[in-house]
Amino acid sequence: MKKNILSALLLLISVGLQAQEKGTLLIRNGTVLTITNGIKENSDVLIKDGKIQKIGTGLKAPSGADVIDAKGMYVMPGIIDAHSHIALSAINEATSPVTAEVSTGDAVNPLDIAIYRALAGGVTLSHAMHGSANAIGGQCETIKHRYGTVDPEELKMKGAPRTIKFALGENPTRVHGSGNGILPRTRMGVEEVFRNSFSEANEYMAGWNEYNAKKNQKGFKGVAPKYDLRLETLADILKGNIIIHCHSYRADEIYMLMQVCKDYGIKRLVFQHVNEGFKVAPELAEFGAMASVFSDWWAYKFEVYYSTAYNATILTENNVVTSINSDSRELIRHLYHEAAKTQKYGSLPNDKALSLITINPAKQLGIDDRVGSLEEGKEGDVAIFKNHPLSIYAVPMYTIVDGIVEFDRENDPADMRIYPNPEEQIDVTIAVSDSEYDRCMQDTEFLFNH
Amino acid sequence: MKLIKNILCAGAVFMAFAGYAQSSKGKSGTFALTNATIETVTNGAIQNGTVVISEGKITAAGTAVTVPSGAEIIDCTGHVIYPGMIEGGSRLGLTEVNSDARTRDFSEIGEVIPQIQALTAVNPNSVLIPVTRVSGVTTSLALPSGGMFPGTAALINLHGYTPNQMYAGFKGIVLNYPQSGRRGRFDRRTDEEINEAAEKALKNLNETWGKLAEYHKLDSTITASGSNEKLDYYPEMEALLPVYRGEMTLLIEVNASNDIRSAIDWVKDKNLKVIFTGVSEGWRVAKELAEANIPVVTGPVLSVPTREYDRYDRPYANPGLMQKAGVKVAIRNNGAENVRNLPYDAGFAATYGMGREEALKAITINSAEIFGLEKELGSIEVGKIANLFIADGDVFETKTQVKHVFIAGWQIPMESRHTKLYDEFLERSPGVKK
Amino acid sequence: MGAVLIEEGVIKSVGKSINIPANAKIIEADSMYIYAGFIDGLSHIGLPKPKEKAIDRSQIKDPANPPNDLSGIQPERLASAMLGPKDKSVSDMRKIGFTTAQAVPHGLMLPGQGTLILLSGETPDQMVYRKETSMYAQLEGAPRRLYPNTVIGVMAKYRELYRQAVQSKDYLKKYNANPAGMVRPEQNFIEEAFYPVIEKKTPVTFRAESVLDIQRALTLKSDLGFDLMLGEVKQGWDVIDKIKASNAKVFLSLDLPEIKEEKQDSEKDEVSASKTESDLEKERLEKRKKEIIDLHYQQASTFKDKGLKFGFSTLEVKPKDIKKNLSKLLEYGMTESDLIAALTTHPAELLGLSTVMGTIDPGKMANLVVTDKPYFDEKSNIRYVIVDGNVQSYEVKKPKKKGTGKDAMPKGKWSYSADTPNGTVTGEIIITGEPDDYSGTISNSQTGQTTDLTEVSVGGGSLSLSFPFDIGGNNIQIQITAEIDGNTFEGNMSVGQLGSFEVEGQSELKK
Repeated sequence: MKKNILSALLLLISVGLQAQEKGTLLIRNGTVLTITNGIKENSDVLIKDGKIQKIGTGLKAPSGADVIDAKGMYVMPGIIDAHSHIALSAINEATSPVTAEVSTGDAVNPLDIAIYRALAGGVTLSHAMHGSANAIGGQCETIKHRYGTVDPEELKMKGAPRTIKFALGENPTRVHGSGNGILPRTRMGVEEVFRNSFSEANEYMAGWNEYNAKKNQKGFKGVAPKYDLRLETLADILKGNIIIHCHSYRADEIYMLMQVCKDYGIKRLVFQHVNEGFKVAPELAEFGAMASVFSDWWAYKFEVYYSTAYNATILTENNVVTSINSDSRELIRHLYHEAAKTQKYGSLPNDKALSLITINPAKQLGIDDRVGSLEEGKEGDVAIFKNHPLSIYAVPMYTIVDGIVEFDRENDPADMRIYPNPEEQIDVTIAVSDSEYDRCMQDTEFLFNH
Repeated sequence: MKLIKNILCAGAVFMAFAGYAQSSKGKSGTFALTNATIETVTNGAIQNGTVVISEGKITAAGTAVTVPSGAEIIDCTGHVIYPGMIEGGSRLGLTEVNSDARTRDFSEIGEVIPQIQALTAVNPNSVLIPVTRVSGVTTSLALPSGGMFPGTAALINLHGYTPNQMYAGFKGIVLNYPQSGRRGRFDRRTDEEINEAAEKALKNLNETWGKLAEYHKLDSTITASGSNEKLDYYPEMEALLPVYRGEMTLLIEVNASNDIRSAIDWVKDKNLKVIFTGVSEGWRVAKELAEANIPVVTGPVLSVPTREYDRYDRPYANPGLMQKAGVKVAIRNNGAENVRNLPYDAGFAATYGMGREEALKAITINSAEIFGLEKELGSIEVGKIANLFIADGDVFETKTQVKHVFIAGWQIPMESRHTKLYDEFLERSPGVKK
Repeated sequence: MGAVLIEEGVIKSVGKSINIPANAKIIEADSMYIYAGFIDGLSHIGLPKPKEKAIDRSQIKDPANPPNDLSGIQPERLASAMLGPKDKSVSDMRKIGFTTAQAVPHGLMLPGQGTLILLSGETPDQMVYRKETSMYAQLEGAPRRLYPNTVIGVMAKYRELYRQAVQSKDYLKKYNANPAGMVRPEQNFIEEAFYPVIEKKTPVTFRAESVLDIQRALTLKSDLGFDLMLGEVKQGWDVIDKIKASNAKVFLSLDLPEIKEEKQDSEKDEVSASKTESDLEKERLEKRKKEIIDLHYQQASTFKDKGLKFGFSTLEVKPKDIKKNLSKLLEYGMTESDLIAALTTHPAELLGLSTVMGTIDPGKMANLVVTDKPYFDEKSNIRYVIVDGNVQSYEVKKPKKKGTGKDAMPKGKWSYSADTPNGTVTGEIIITGEPDDYSGTISNSQTGQTTDLTEVSVGGGSLSLSFPFDIGGNNIQIQITAEIDGNTFEGNMSVGQLGSFEVEGQSELKK
């Protein structure tokens, strides 16, 4: 009897997974950069039903499988961007200093051409984050770049841990303190917002625990705490079910959040941007907090004036799990080049430099058991380059997600839009490109009308 | 315990010494850069060569070079000497912390203010400048922006303490050519309105130009008559007059293909000295650009396609597509704090069709030629100003380290805020515990 | 050849040889065509867009928790209580054959409860057929700086409100069973408005135009479990299976994209022999644009082919475009009977009205449309529309004489409204003076200021106004250009570089 239920359940799961396309593909004769297990020259990678089945030599393609001849090319795991805002219709619910209840998962936009352009840079997976307008922003979505579908659900990486955006410093204090005249106006206030929120969530949990303990007692007449989606989410952070990804720049505020997390027993903490992370690298390492940084962005605002492009190297050499992210529709197209900058700024060796855009961001998103390296059993997300990916002469040739070729430099047409605009006037051009800095603050421009 | 203390002490002494040795000041004199591969740009690569720098100039370059006595010798075995890279248009020096209006000095009020001088507002002590030059960018064009004629751009060397010391010998007046395209995704004007606005802007431009023609006629008449009469104070027209007469360069910022076509038409028969800048859709009209014989300074190369339906790599390929069509192309980064990435803009162009050799020209000799400074800058040749750098490999390769930089013969200290913070924090002391 | 006998608003008999009572009023429909009255699945008929008031932001203490009328959380409002029987939309829509409609209020995320109306009657009571049909919902955020502002805020708020309502409903049930010793539940109109939805007595009707909004509504449905109606669907062709699996009911938008005929390039003919690269590029792009427009046109037939029954909705389409757009659907795979079904029997079924509406059968309501040629014939005219037995007759309009060259008379008081990124701006325009020497003023509801017009000119039926406007210290010239049609005008308001917004107006004197 039990067995039957189990198999019925299994059936259900496999049906659920069927919705997302999985491919079978043999990549032949490439230089395979596994990241976690060295370099394998002249080797094959066999992906079966979306998973890496075997890495070796002389592998045979199952009948009907596509074959890519990667002779003379470099085969590496699909690049992972731990901080991006592509494929989203909305980024900032900038109307409250705490918006833990919202989720960018509700705004996933599979039609965004930026997904394809990211694929064209070898990026197979990104962390579609809420913006940085609020001290506690919204929950984020880990998405796979399965371009070509109109179904947002197909982009979502099912089973990836929940994550949430926090933000320190200028952005939340400008939006709420200077903009609306409410807490926080200073970095002191930001700390207060966190402590208030977590304390409230603790009380909320206690209230429910008490209610649940008593509700089945005979003659119980009590009232349950009023359902509150914001506090539910904060409680899930306290329970360790959600990883905090915190927008941060200055060393003092980074240190502050670590203290707050210690006080509330929160362990899963990743700092984003973290331009001054290098100043508190030993403390980050001791806490076990991770860092996701820009390769070289600085000076675009005051809190990043005292930065260094050597940040990623210093953090890495101090044993902080570090990644390099884009936060930009432009930069996401060449994260392999951004990672290479750690060789200019600090001479990181190839494997460490490549880890910054593969296994390390996977760790930060809690998905390193599934992606981030080429290992048997992992998901078939692969980027294939002409020339070494850390070379300026690198050209992404194929990008593969779950064994499906999503980008093919030689064969893709120029126009890759899914739904063109039926109203557009052809021949009118967007002559100004997007502002690339601080995409985090999209949807909040109106707050700073000069 | 004592031992550790002693080692720490030794470390501190060493650090202090290193700090002393690494002076923040530039150093002038006679230098001989020996045993180097010399990328002359104009005459191919010379293996095992020597470059001599004296009194700010390159006085010798080649294999059969005698090192002058008293010259400081820098052994460049395994290293490559390149001419200093020239950034063809950025806000470097004109802005410090871009989000802070108090540090932004690149955009003045007014539609027609060609007389406004970017050189005036260049901050020689900007923290951004050392960060840029230690990567081998020795020269950049300080570019004002804003209205139709937002001011006069100036080429500067990234070393010096006054505008005069930095000025590199080229000035050009900027014209933002009327845009017919949408300004961005928040531009909610109808197509008709966009067209109307563009027509109106072109009308304004032509009106200004009409006034200038009048001014030129009056001025010419007075000059011809030899009278002492003076025209009324009219700084805009005075500034534009040399442009009208083809004596000074007009830098026309233009990007959309339709606008480029329109701008080609506009300059035709005017006999102007013209450079097109930006030119992000140049690939669409490369043939027309080549036929019109107008040089371009294009970039940033690392940018997103201007249109949703454009092939993803168009911005990378743009410089090469123009160059192959016969256009003289220089590449710019167009930023401020990260102008140091200029070799990567050129490197992507090289990779996506332009090739190494042409891409290198696009950040050295082509820029110099376009700015009329081919006798002074842009290559390793005897007699040229000693703007050069020494790298341990291919200038485009990301991992390449720049070892020495010379600007106008001054040896530049290889330090910046970024290197100083690295030195201080790689192994922070104290660590976690005090 | 047949006759329909109507008594007290009910169809008594239909056929060739029926007994006609002596006292019956006879409508001669010789060689005419009779259809069941059309049913509009989702509309704002009878509910004109309210004038927007300026938001006094200084009065908002906490932008994260604004008053419900600002956040747009007003599910307790009843469309039936807001009806304006005299509103132009009622006669406009009746004129083209609609006799019944679900009408919903304007608003933001939860504008109120929809109502089912008959397009006739002097009072709201007479119009309303069913008081509450569904809870109307949109993925529409509060004005800037107010919570919930974006789609992610709106989605979260739906979940929270719904679950709070489930919670309070459960508590209320317990309380009602045995209140002794229990804390009295507070009255909460918003939560109460959810109760019929939770009990599945009424569905939620989501306005879901884009392929993304459709799926967002489906996500909320699957998270929360309510019955769902999708309205104003414009881009559903790729997600039909998903809609089907959810059992949602569907009303497709009658608003269609237009193919603008591009002007022929005169040069093009000369060089047609050798096409340039940019000609080829343009051709490719035109082709893709045509393809996507075709997909919009084919949407109805694609739904039909997939076996999904649907009606139509008219939130966006202008009444004068409806017949033209229906003809477009005919060209793209729908047959006349498909279209009639989507206008009559299918919406009747989807709205639970099959026993009383949708066909011309004895016992059904006398909602009929009478035309002089088959409805979809280009030259057909509607001669009678009968709603609930009330007959409205229409004369065949003689073609308007065009080009009389006479200028419109703009003089007088007009009310206007313009959709801007800051919300809807309303106000009054007063024009005085004589032709060639007009002047006037314009008021602005958001700023509360009245400004002199710097230019008023009229050429034929077009009106052009301009006036200065202060935006953060910058003086910008705003230009309105509009076409006057009787006592209304429609056009654009352009605000310098900031863009152009639709503006419409109505004469206050002639109303």
